[in-house]
Amino acid sequence: MRKVIISRLLRLAATLLAVTFLTFSLTSLLPGDPVNVILGVDSNQDPELVQKIRDDLGLDDPFIVRYGNWLWDAVVHFDLGESYVNRGQSVSGTIMDRIPVTGQLAFMAIIMAVLMAVPIGVLGAYRQGKWQDTVSSAGVQVALSIPNFIMGIFFIWLFAVQLQWLPSSNWNRISDKGLIENLKTAIMPAAALAMTQMAIFSRLVRADMVATLQENYILAAKAKGLNDRFILIRHALRPSSLSLMTIVGINFGALLGGTVVIETLFAVPGLGFRLINAINQRDILVIQGITVFVAAVYVIINTVVDLLYAVIDPRIRKG
Amino acid sequence: MTTRRWKKSVALFAAAGLLVAACGGDDDADTPDSEDTAEPTADEGGDTDEGSEPSDDDGDGDGDGDVEAGQEATGDVDTEVTEESVDEGVDRYGGSIAVGLEAEAVGLRPWEDSCSAPCYNIMVTLYDKLIEQDVNGEYRGYLAESFSSNDDFTVWTVNLRPGVTFHNGTELTAQTIADMFPIQQEGATASSQIGASNLASVEATGDLEVTYTLSSGNSAFPAFLARASLGMPFDPAAAAADIDGYSTNPIGTGPFMIETRDLDNETTVVRYDGYWGVDPEGNQLPYLDSISFRPIPDEQARLDALLSGTVDAIQSLRQGTIRDARAARDGGAEIDLLEFQGNNVGGGMFNMAVAPFDDIRVRRGLTQMNSQEKVIEALGGTGISLPGTQWFSPDSPWWSQAAADAWPTFDFEAGVATLQGYIDDPDRSDGKAAGEPIDVELSCPPDPTLIAAMQVLEQTWAGSGMVNVELTSFDQQTHINNALGAENGFIGTHGAHCWRWSDQDDPSLSLNPALAPYSAEVAEAAGLPGVVSPLNFANYWNPEAFQAAQQAITTGDFDERFALYEQINLAIAEDVPVWYSGHTATMLATSSDIAGLNGWHLPNGDLGIGFPGAEGRWVEVFVAG
Repeated sequence: MRKVIISRLLRLAATLLAVTFLTFSLTSLLPGDPVNVILGVDSNQDPELVQKIRDDLGLDDPFIVRYGNWLWDAVVHFDLGESYVNRGQSVSGTIMDRIPVTGQLAFMAIIMAVLMAVPIGVLGAYRQGKWQDTVSSAGVQVALSIPNFIMGIFFIWLFAVQLQWLPSSNWNRISDKGLIENLKTAIMPAAALAMTQMAIFSRLVRADMVATLQENYILAAKAKGLNDRFILIRHALRPSSLSLMTIVGINFGALLGGTVVIETLFAVPGLGFRLINAINQRDILVIQGITVFVAAVYVIINTVVDLLYAVIDPRIRKG
Repeated sequence: MTTRRWKKSVALFAAAGLLVAACGGDDDADTPDSEDTAEPTADEGGDTDEGSEPSDDDGDGDGDGDVEAGQEATGDVDTEVTEESVDEGVDRYGGSIAVGLEAEAVGLRPWEDSCSAPCYNIMVTLYDKLIEQDVNGEYRGYLAESFSSNDDFTVWTVNLRPGVTFHNGTELTAQTIADMFPIQQEGATASSQIGASNLASVEATGDLEVTYTLSSGNSAFPAFLARASLGMPFDPAAAAADIDGYSTNPIGTGPFMIETRDLDNETTVVRYDGYWGVDPEGNQLPYLDSISFRPIPDEQARLDALLSGTVDAIQSLRQGTIRDARAARDGGAEIDLLEFQGNNVGGGMFNMAVAPFDDIRVRRGLTQMNSQEKVIEALGGTGISLPGTQWFSPDSPWWSQAAADAWPTFDFEAGVATLQGYIDDPDRSDGKAAGEPIDVELSCPPDPTLIAAMQVLEQTWAGSGMVNVELTSFDQQTHINNALGAENGFIGTHGAHCWRWSDQDDPSLSLNPALAPYSAEVAEAAGLPGVVSPLNFANYWNPEAFQAAQQAITTGDFDERFALYEQINLAIAEDVPVWYSGHTATMLATSSDIAGLNGWHLPNGDLGIGFPGAEGRWVEVFVAG
């Protein structure tokens, strides 16, 4: 097991290094000069001032030097730099401010998706080929086919504009306005994110359950006269959850970086909203910091899932 | 004017706050000069008066996309700024409202942070301006009780209003303004405005008397004191103590103080009890307890936020949103719309430094093939936005009938014939063989309505069989950088490029940098070494137009200035460095129980300019329902 852990951690470190290098390279390739961002394109283009800013930021240094400096600060000092646009605001501080918001959205979306997906998947598998399966599969297909921002627009129209049950946008922080008010602003974006996840999860659960229900021990349980609900929940669902667990972990990581559109639509001040603003403002260090952070979370979650796999399945750790 | 003087003024103007509205509409209007100068300006109904002399004759009579000169359509599309009639019994005090903005304010430091329409909505609650514009667009004192200049506009004297204090209790004095100057000189936005305005020094010449000395005359100087960078007083001691922190903890003299600044989510301001301002009846301002500003970038989501009651007011600079808001109101939604359409005009520009756009036949031909009516329709602006023929809108005092008549309006066959001359020219500038179609890269930011509008142009141009159009789209910042061209001596890498021009400020602020030499070579050849304007995005060089622009800031006489700006617009119509679609329509929409946004007042009781470019003044707003 120790070998597995060491191997996975080494792979994690190599992946993170590659991610930082790629991110740094790609943001360096973005057109436009950060100095224009700092000064504003309509502002003073005095060459001395421009050069001073370039010197301060090390913009004229070779790429590898800039990358090395950035990596050193990031790894050794946990310092991802300072926003070019919102001066005085550290990138790591920005990320820390936004994690709770995006994390809450992603967490709620995953929970909602799992809560919907498991019964739908189980029902589809249990009633395979029957009308319940047909209807649930069709519903899942629809949920899978509709982009989440369309779902978000629909939710806004229905629950905010027509019914006026929920606010259509922005974010009530728990610290300022309490949990209930917070949930009022979180429920629609989370639900919009959850629909696609639900569709993926339920298909997975259904497929796994169909296979599990063919197993001899299930047939044996049926032969013993155990009731269907008991068999489904106690004997079939648990072994069918391994793939679900994997995909939930991976998708949670993906959601942290994949909420850009929904956060923008609902004006939720999370990582995605900040990222899109940073891209529009050419705030390169913020783009870099958030991208690296999201990628890091993603690969770390993958690694953790890999390790959990090894814990659950002895064949993996022996292999 | 000596070469040195030219160099200084142009180079500094080149740094001016133009960006020529590529990033959206700007604000306020009109004429320069001292407080007593009565300039001819637009009246409340949207008509124009002396100077522009609009008539009902559009000059060419085809009625196909060109502005019908002086027509009342502007009055039809704009909401009239008027005194609001409110029931006597309504208690105006108290209440909190939320306002949806199209973007977050980058920062709240007037001397440092770039500020466009959404940002200004917040800034005017926290800071007062020295000078504001009245309903006619004339510059009037606000924090300044009065202002005047010497004869050659090199020295401006401003007398401050007494009894004004900052939110931290510090008194506003002339010395405050003088102490602000060194900080402004270091500020990213203020330093450019200092250069553009020719401002050399600021002195306290009395307790409340400030003297601004300019390096060369600028009759438009009051326009600079009506904008954030130079016109919004801040506490210099507090700013010096924490330059970065001032952005989240701004201290102004405005009617509201900052309470919370939750970036990208909500900025809340609360009533400043020590505010100096009163309404025309002598009642203490402001009325509201607090205002929360929330950035909601998605246009439909912002309108939905208003319709759902999530916010009480929104702003928009998109014609499609105005169309949808009108539909919602007509469908029974209880909202009021305050629409404004000013000088800001959209369209595109040709990069005249590169082939084939270096040839007038190409520029004119393509412009003649531009169906403004269809482009405006694609933008969602039919019945909302007027087609443009010049830098100014028909209700501007600077609008010129002669320029409107001279503009090459839509005439497809004429365009084909004009372009054919270039196509068949064996010595054509793009190096292609005679008869081959020209290549045009048409680029626009990735806004759906802008893309739709560009597709209309693409189809029209390509439909001639003489133009290969490649549509490209880059995010706003890249789009601007492509036109700026800092890497290639400010020539840019653009071809035909979506853009906007002009605003409600004095014309010199946007025109001067757009007409100055665009490269060192051009400047050298013109005998103006070192005079290079990075903001001449079209790379347009017309010495007469440039000289006219320079001359226009040396005089305060409206008729003289009008003639010069008319000359410039005629030159633009002749040389066609740009093409126009329509004037930018903007809107503030509120739930119908919100009042006081329309008819706000200057300290002397006169009506203010209203809500130019979706910049609201929230000081007299109250909840009437």
